[in-house]
Amino acid sequence: MSIISIKSATKRFPNGFEAIKGISTDIAAGSFTVILGPSGAGKSTLLRLMNGLEIPTGGSVHITGETLGKSNLRKTRSRVGMVFQQFNLVERLSVVTNVLTGRLAHRSWLGSVFYLFRNEDMEIAQEALARVGLTDKAWSRADKLSGGQQQRVGIARALAQRPKVILADEPVASLDPVSSEEIMMLLREICDRDGITVVVNLHQVDLAKRFADRIIGMNSGRVVFDGTPSELSPLTLQTIYKRDEIENDTNLDLALAYA
Amino acid sequence: MTPILIWRWPTRNGLPPLPAIASVVTVLVAMWLTASLVEVDLARLIGSLGKMAAFAGNMFVMPDWKYLPQLLGKMLETIEMTFLATAIALLVSLPLGLLAARNATPHLIVYRLVRDLLSLMRAMPELVWALVFVSAVGLGPLPGVMALAFVTVGFMGKFFAETIEVVDQKQVEGVTAHGAGWFQVRMFGMLPQALPDFVGTVMYILDHNLRAATVLGLVGAGGIGYDLVMSMRLFQYDRLLPIAVSIYLVVTLLDRLSDQLRSRIIHGAQAKI
Amino acid sequence: MKLKQTTPPSSALPPKPRNLFPVWLAALLALLWLIVHDLEISFETLAYGVADMGEYFSRYSKPDFSELSRYLELMKVTLATALWGTVFALVVAFFLAPLAARNLAPHPLAYRAAREILNFMRAMPDLLLALIFVAALGLGPLPGALALGVHTAGFLGKFFAESLERVDKGVYEGVTSTGANFPQIVMYAGWPSILREALGYVLYIMDRNVRMASVLGMVGAGGIGLALHDTLRMFNYGQSAALIIVILVTILVIDYASAWLRRRLS
Repeated sequence: MSIISIKSATKRFPNGFEAIKGISTDIAAGSFTVILGPSGAGKSTLLRLMNGLEIPTGGSVHITGETLGKSNLRKTRSRVGMVFQQFNLVERLSVVTNVLTGRLAHRSWLGSVFYLFRNEDMEIAQEALARVGLTDKAWSRADKLSGGQQQRVGIARALAQRPKVILADEPVASLDPVSSEEIMMLLREICDRDGITVVVNLHQVDLAKRFADRIIGMNSGRVVFDGTPSELSPLTLQTIYKRDEIENDTNLDLALAYA
Repeated sequence: MTPILIWRWPTRNGLPPLPAIASVVTVLVAMWLTASLVEVDLARLIGSLGKMAAFAGNMFVMPDWKYLPQLLGKMLETIEMTFLATAIALLVSLPLGLLAARNATPHLIVYRLVRDLLSLMRAMPELVWALVFVSAVGLGPLPGVMALAFVTVGFMGKFFAETIEVVDQKQVEGVTAHGAGWFQVRMFGMLPQALPDFVGTVMYILDHNLRAATVLGLVGAGGIGYDLVMSMRLFQYDRLLPIAVSIYLVVTLLDRLSDQLRSRIIHGAQAKI
Repeated sequence: MKLKQTTPPSSALPPKPRNLFPVWLAALLALLWLIVHDLEISFETLAYGVADMGEYFSRYSKPDFSELSRYLELMKVTLATALWGTVFALVVAFFLAPLAARNLAPHPLAYRAAREILNFMRAMPDLLLALIFVAALGLGPLPGALALGVHTAGFLGKFFAESLERVDKGVYEGVTSTGANFPQIVMYAGWPSILREALGYVLYIMDRNVRMASVLGMVGAGGIGLALHDTLRMFNYGQSAALIIVILVTILVIDYASAWLRRRLS
């Protein structure tokens, strides 16, 4: 049963740039998918189509069976959590409040505008924080945390939504190798234990191979590879990472070195 | 975290943070205490809505076309006052700003004196100074220009002083190391660093001064202010609307211009020196 | 094998882009001269004025504080007017500013409308607004407070909106991605991100309103302005001096307080 269904989606930006040139794919519930590709391939745009941060200019996107459109944008977003490369926390607010923003869609907005939350929301936030191992930092200001910790807050925020899907847009690109490892393991664990579907954008091939059930390779707005990590060979990597103009691609060499 | 009620704030004790409560309470108490001083009266406010509507209705009459040339003349005068006063003020505040900057002043006493002088100059609104200067030099645009320039020097002087105080010392040292004299160090080491902020601030000052200049006429210091008040007092609605509209147009025009200029500056320009 | 001969590039600099600065400066000076001429500012009058200035300012040297208690009462009214005006402006700006921020506004029409309303409020000089409100509400400080409130709401709203526009897009996206609606995004990602700046602006506006409140009295909107106008009209320099000192001291105190508060914020 596919929880995310993309049918012939295209995305052309107002400046004329075609980021997605016709993609159809289904993401199975409970799976861990990694979207791999060079920068500019359209990975970010594809991910953002899945929670409505980008609207396709052609085709359609379906989440948990519903077509994503203006009317159900908020409702759908509440079921889809997102983790960002730059963490995107509100720096001045405490860790707890940041996590609580995950509950906003579930609350009637009148109370939330006054920063009022129900006790059950606080409990959900506590749970989420415990899950990512940050209970002791609950009352710290978000900007006082390290990069890895901030990303964990981002994940806690997504978890607080009690989502069906978690999307992660280059979650470890701004982190050191140790923190990157921790974050990927946390995401994998969330997928395995809680059955949440996880879709991650990465450009690091080694991480993709280690953590993914399925790898979707993208290049220039199209899917050029779709398979298991074991099917990822130097040849297939070449199709993902190739660029027409450049004969010798250091990106490619690096990727191949890890293959 | 023991649950107190069903709802709570995201803090350790469930109540809003102390600074937030303290400031809100202070303001509310102050307002409650001063309500009578300000003669706040909801009934009076609501009762006046009718009058306001009537007033608005009265304003929309056929403009007095014969008055237009005088209106344009007065508006031009207002604009000229603004520019002249600002230009004079800029000239005067440059050296004053240097003297009022801790790292550029020749002596600490000079620094303190000039700082306090600048503080006094900008303390009072232009209209008060205009009153004083009208008393001194008579009616006309001159006291208006003086008043505007006076207050602007107070502001610009402080601005220059503060900008000079945060200049990058390394650049100053570089210039000094090449044997620059006292004046040259300030001219070539300090002032160029102050310039980028400068344009934005000048635009802001022009904007502020134009608005101030429109009312100086109230006390006889030139500009459209006199006509404005008189037309209200004499119920000359056929003049009031054109006056209000022209003030609105000129102020808005300058506002948009300054926005445009500021965004151009932010997006960079060729170095001219 | 002969290597390809290439001529080394000439060491001359590319031609300097035309420096128009002197042209602008000359134009500016010419313009200023024209203005002086048009305004009929005679340097003679100014010179005489300056000479007289010494004598003139000496008239203020004996401040007459006999009516001090009345002046202080008036000053209290002035301060109260400024307070109410500022709070009014804050409330209005609080609701309009998010709509006037391009990256937050839910609809481009709402954005345009909010911007225009704020512009209009700003463009009308507070004195004009005070005149109108006095005509509608009668004399007293209330029309003054309203005039200040409406006018500075325009400023505060613009400042807030510009600050909100400068917040990193990602911060807004973070909260948006959870499914939050417009008021929630504004409250959780907008205001917290600019809180420090916003408070600074409010203090600045309060400061400004105290100054303006002291002159609004001249059009009948209460406070100390009228008193000063009257004493100067009647050439009562002693009392004028006293009034000016009262106004000056009050404004300076407010200045220090607001600067201190702003320092505490950072």
